[in-house]
Amino acid sequence: MSLARGSFWVRNRLGLHARAATKLVSLASRFPCEILISREGQVANAKSVMGVLLLCGAKGTQLTIEADGEQADLALVEIGALIDTGFGEGE
Amino acid sequence: MIEPEYSPQSVKTAPILLDGIAGSPGLAIGRALVIETRRPGVVHRRVAKHQADDEVRRYRIAVESAAAELHEVATRAVGSPVESSILQAYILMVQDQTLGEEVERRILLDLVCAEWALDMTVGQMASQLALAPDPYLAERSHDVQFVGDRILAVLSGRRSRVALPETDDKWVIVAHDLSPAETASLSRDRVIALVTEVGTRTSHTAIVARALEIPAVVGTVGILQFVANNDLVVVDGLRGRVVLSPTADLIDRANLRAERYSALTRELRELRDRPATTRCGIHIHLRANIELPAEADVALAHGAEGIGLYRTEFLYVDRSDPPSEEEQYVTYRHVLEAVAPLPVTLRTFDIGGDKNVPIHAPQGANPALGLRAVRLGLARPEFFLTQLRALVRASAHGRLQIMIPMISSVAEFRATLRLLAQAVDEIDNRNLSRAAFIPCGCMIEVPSAAIMANELAQEAAFLSIGTNDLVQYTLAVDRSRPELVGLGSSFDPAILRLIRRTVRAGERHHRPVLVCGAMSSDPLTVLLLLGLGIRELSMEGSAIPELKEAISRISILEAEQLADEALACATAEEVERMVTETYAPYFADLLDGEPAFEAGVPRSPAGGADHG
Repeated sequence: MSLARGSFWVRNRLGLHARAATKLVSLASRFPCEILISREGQVANAKSVMGVLLLCGAKGTQLTIEADGEQADLALVEIGALIDTGFGEGE
Repeated sequence: MIEPEYSPQSVKTAPILLDGIAGSPGLAIGRALVIETRRPGVVHRRVAKHQADDEVRRYRIAVESAAAELHEVATRAVGSPVESSILQAYILMVQDQTLGEEVERRILLDLVCAEWALDMTVGQMASQLALAPDPYLAERSHDVQFVGDRILAVLSGRRSRVALPETDDKWVIVAHDLSPAETASLSRDRVIALVTEVGTRTSHTAIVARALEIPAVVGTVGILQFVANNDLVVVDGLRGRVVLSPTADLIDRANLRAERYSALTRELRELRDRPATTRCGIHIHLRANIELPAEADVALAHGAEGIGLYRTEFLYVDRSDPPSEEEQYVTYRHVLEAVAPLPVTLRTFDIGGDKNVPIHAPQGANPALGLRAVRLGLARPEFFLTQLRALVRASAHGRLQIMIPMISSVAEFRATLRLLAQAVDEIDNRNLSRAAFIPCGCMIEVPSAAIMANELAQEAAFLSIGTNDLVQYTLAVDRSRPELVGLGSSFDPAILRLIRRTVRAGERHHRPVLVCGAMSSDPLTVLLLLGLGIRELSMEGSAIPELKEAISRISILEAEQLADEALACATAEEVERMVTETYAPYFADLLDGEPAFEAGVPRSPAGGADHG
């Protein structure tokens, strides 16, 4: 059991829109640990599309990922990479 | 003449003609069933503490049923990838944890019923999203609302299907909008046509209606103000028109037209192989407008000589990533192969300012005059080049012509040709095959392009006049504004003169000039177009058999005389009156069901009679 935390900048132009949120949620759902995602104090369950969408993470905002439990480190690395690479959208 | 006495009844029985968008072909006459698709009031009930757990259970069961209903609809939509990906997202959202936890928290803490808790939660989430600075995110608030509505419908015992009265009657469904679930729940046996206030050719309603082979007119702005249950309605899904409270005479004619349409449908096989030829033996090329690849087969079955307008916007709608080169190549190749050896004229993306498209353009107060179509392509060349490369590759598999929308200057067209040349180089460097020559044409839909048609014709392989936008831009009339309906007439002499100018430019430089848009599917405007020198038309595939018949009754000489007289007219009304008085009897059987040209019948509710 472990706790992992990291912050990432939203780089893609469209931000945390529906498809990006869906990608993030399906990735997060693969991990057994609890994963929270927050922006400026607003916290959401990273396994919920609505929660992630409601963060309204536009390009240039900072997201904090907090994973707690089994495979927390791996979850943080993979989710961080997804955000860092602009959700595979290039820009 | 005796003035009819003013009474509510006489107002009600005056026929009203409304223009919409042809969503699904066919013609139907029947009684209206108005579906209230706006949300009814939500039950607000307080619950006792010991009942709260039951409310939570009710909520969970409702979520499961709503998800199951959406699943069922999704299985019907497997044929259309766009539909099904939207539905899959809805299924995820209905079962969403955050939504569920918040609703259950409210039930247990605020001691309210499930409906009320859900309504509050959805309202809060939707308004939070609606405030998002990003328009794409803001648009998602409708999705949240839709998802909430699906669960509410189950909770309140409403099924997400249209409830038809328990009689054997057949109905014309009239609604503001129909959800995918509602549309898919309609039975062909009970529903003879659909009319909605919103929607486009590619919206759920139109797609499902075409699949069910029910005539549909979508985008019929304002119809709910004029229609009541049991009103008699004529739905013309071929021309995208609806007539309310038709007179007995109009009904007879509509019936004739409906019979004629079914007869024409039966004769399709014979007509398909018959060329469109005028009475004097001149061949007119009739091509089809398509959007979805599956429509190519339908167009050919109706006798289209290839595709005159292949819209590619559908590839960009309702998604967050633009389509890849490979995805576009596969899609275009499919259409080119299906239509070969006939030509396919593909229009590069005409988006910009829209919601739900992945290439974002700043939306000014006036999107029609903003960064859209080719302007967006030139501003974001990486996206434009992706489409052009896909096109160049697809050109190896049929007869491809590329058509550039919204050109407003020669400089824009040159810049586009340079990008196309770059795309060709890139494909050659990758050693992929392509056609030796890919004609690239220019759309004439901005008045400046029509004025510069001579210069554009020197550089373009062909010119294609988009009459809908040309009318909108030349007459400065927003087509979506019902109060302006009477003003934007394609009979306007200003439009005819711009068309004439464009045709002359084409003749001078030996470039074909094609017309696509509403003018090419009405026998009377086609008559004018032929007189102006047009020999190539593109229209809804379903309108082709009728147009062939109309063209066979026209001689070019009389069309030219008519066009000359029309060009000399001062107003749209003069042109329309002259054309209809002289030629409507020629096409009486084809025009039946269409009262627009009769004296005393308003063309639209917005005071059309004043303009007529």
